[in-house]
Amino acid sequence: MNARHRRRPGVWLAGAGQTGPAAADSRSIPEMVLAAVEAALEDAALTFDDIDAVVTASVDLYDGLTASNLAVTEVVGAVMKPETRIAADGLCAALHGACQILAGAYETVLVVAHGKASMASFPELTTWAMDPVYLQPLGVDFETCAGLQAQALAAFDERAERRWAELAAERRRQAAGHGVAPPRTAEEVLASPIVASPVRREMVAPRADGACAMLLRQTPGGRGSPGGGQTGNRTRITGFGWDLAAHAPGDRDLEQWAGVGRACARAYQASGVVEPADSLHLLEPSCHYAHEEELFVRASGAGSGPCVSPTGGLFAGAIPVAAGLSRLIAADRWLRQRDEAGCALVHGSWGPIGQGQAVVILEAAA
Amino acid sequence: MRPVAIIGTGQTRHSKRRDDVSQPELVREAAAAALADADLRPAEVDAILISNMELFEGRAFPELWAGAGAWAIGKPCLKIATGGTSGTSACIAAFHQVAAGCFDTVLVVGFEKHSEGHTQAGMALTDPYWDRSVAAGALGNFALSVCQYVQERGVSERQAAMVAVKARRNAAANPHAHLQLPDLTIEEVLASPVIAAPLRRLDMCPQSDGAAALVVAGEASARRRCRRPAWVKAAVTRHDKPYLGDLDRRLATMRTLRQAAAVAYRQAGIDDPVRDLDVAEIYEPVTYAELAWYEALGFCPDGEAGRLIEDGVTAMDGALPVNPSGGVLSTNPVGASGVIRVAEAALQLHGKGGARQVEGARRALATGYGVYAWSDVIVLESAA
Repeated sequence: MNARHRRRPGVWLAGAGQTGPAAADSRSIPEMVLAAVEAALEDAALTFDDIDAVVTASVDLYDGLTASNLAVTEVVGAVMKPETRIAADGLCAALHGACQILAGAYETVLVVAHGKASMASFPELTTWAMDPVYLQPLGVDFETCAGLQAQALAAFDERAERRWAELAAERRRQAAGHGVAPPRTAEEVLASPIVASPVRREMVAPRADGACAMLLRQTPGGRGSPGGGQTGNRTRITGFGWDLAAHAPGDRDLEQWAGVGRACARAYQASGVVEPADSLHLLEPSCHYAHEEELFVRASGAGSGPCVSPTGGLFAGAIPVAAGLSRLIAADRWLRQRDEAGCALVHGSWGPIGQGQAVVILEAAA
Repeated sequence: MRPVAIIGTGQTRHSKRRDDVSQPELVREAAAAALADADLRPAEVDAILISNMELFEGRAFPELWAGAGAWAIGKPCLKIATGGTSGTSACIAAFHQVAAGCFDTVLVVGFEKHSEGHTQAGMALTDPYWDRSVAAGALGNFALSVCQYVQERGVSERQAAMVAVKARRNAAANPHAHLQLPDLTIEEVLASPVIAAPLRRLDMCPQSDGAAALVVAGEASARRRCRRPAWVKAAVTRHDKPYLGDLDRRLATMRTLRQAAAVAYRQAGIDDPVRDLDVAEIYEPVTYAELAWYEALGFCPDGEAGRLIEDGVTAMDGALPVNPSGGVLSTNPVGASGVIRVAEAALQLHGKGGARQVEGARRALATGYGVYAWSDVIVLESAA
């Protein structure tokens, strides 16, 4: 990794916890969240009393609750504490928690996101996130938008569908044993039913239930380092960025994820990454569809060098809202297991065709 | 925290129905006004924060298609939603993002278009096991808590009606305010129908369509762009338990507001709020809540709120004018209501309050109130 001047000090990852992904978790949302938070606290060797502030991520319509964070206020330890709720992908909660620490407002921030896809038909819910004047009346949802994007990509690329099938098969194989879906061969993926042409069912990351929690700190802390004990984690956030693209598919170039490019540019600038292909060792994208991974890798400028989603990414189980935070936890885990310095690019997205995009750069010392 | 300031504010005209504009157009109206006030071009805004309670309009992620109204496309944009505190929480999030050095200028826009949804239905989507059947909606849960408060503190209906009259008369000097009732009398308030005892119709806030925006800037930009920046001296949030049954004597104790105010006053160097503050914009969805908040905010000892309103301490010509804008009791687009509190407080420090200006205002308080007992407290100050 190139040594460069850093514009901002880092924010340290102190501990992580997660439930799921599960196809259908019988627990309530607060019960899932409590399990994730307690696991994170244990990982960090901290207690609820150590938490200065909480940032949660949830979406009211997905939970069927107005001010849906009220369901988790107690289990995240936010009673008589500051809590902020972001209505976007959970990685954005981590970005905002990092902002709070960098602002000097708090020293320790708990970041939590949850999703329970088993409670409702996710595609049907997402029609209610579409522009109500022009798009919702057409019956458009996130899945049909993904189909439009895949069509645009495949129009002049006759190998595209086969490539996406092979990618989906590879991610499903990597996720086997810790995910919610069985492995599939590329042929099985190509033989699965079409959900939004040319996207087939097995090219879609299986939706799941789960909760993710991450403790962020101003200073190194937590016991998750390979050194063990209370010596502290060695992974920190050194840069991040997020972006909102145009809403209507017709207003966007569907052949690229420009929002990822803009978010990455902001993150690279903050962390001092000049040549991402040289600096990054791991990519953990939140790709809900196989074709999105190609878009992400291209937009990030990371090239073919870094390892991508070694545990299958969202094909292990895509938890609505918590997906990006699950990737942050996966990247942290991967960096912890290495004995050498490393740098990872973590991604979260929300909205149709990745309208909202967020990225985080993690760096781990040797 | 590094110095940050509010350098521009803007609001729409608020009313029961804004059929003349879509939600993105409503957002644009407020955002354009705030940018014009800050003398800022859209391209000069680094990031956008939106606040809105999506289920009131029965939607998800409204910022995805309404964000274009705030020129958010191609920029970092997030939505904050914490019930009634959404707007104040979004402002605090902006303070943090600028103080962190992530951005130099952040535009905060809060909006709600209640006329396109069903607010009571949205508010009924609370905890399905315990609260939905007994406390769904603001009216029912406030009626329960106000009964306790009245019994404990001895506040009279007439004293609550005085709050209603103060708010609506102040609103008459605010061209943005929804309710315009300049000649409202205490007798008329007391004659308005009881809708959930002891609450009468004129004790309650309206449901408004509207949007509000403000621009938060870092120190150098604030000094360069604004003659009298409204510097953020304190911004404190406290949340409490989410079940009404766990919040016995809620209005009488209101421990979140008490603790947040105590911390904020300490950070801002305020010993006696009535003496040290020049103006307050507090989030009072019900007349009785304003009286309870007087006590929680330390404007008077417990049990003295009725006397405070009778003595005119919080009137426009009193020692501490409260809600020169007319408050939530006069204008309530929920996602914007917290932004309005902060924007109105900043407006006073900018010296742009027009007919509702408190002369010489240098230090202002803004509060947010959400769900059953969540509180935000913000103290702003202009240079002497």
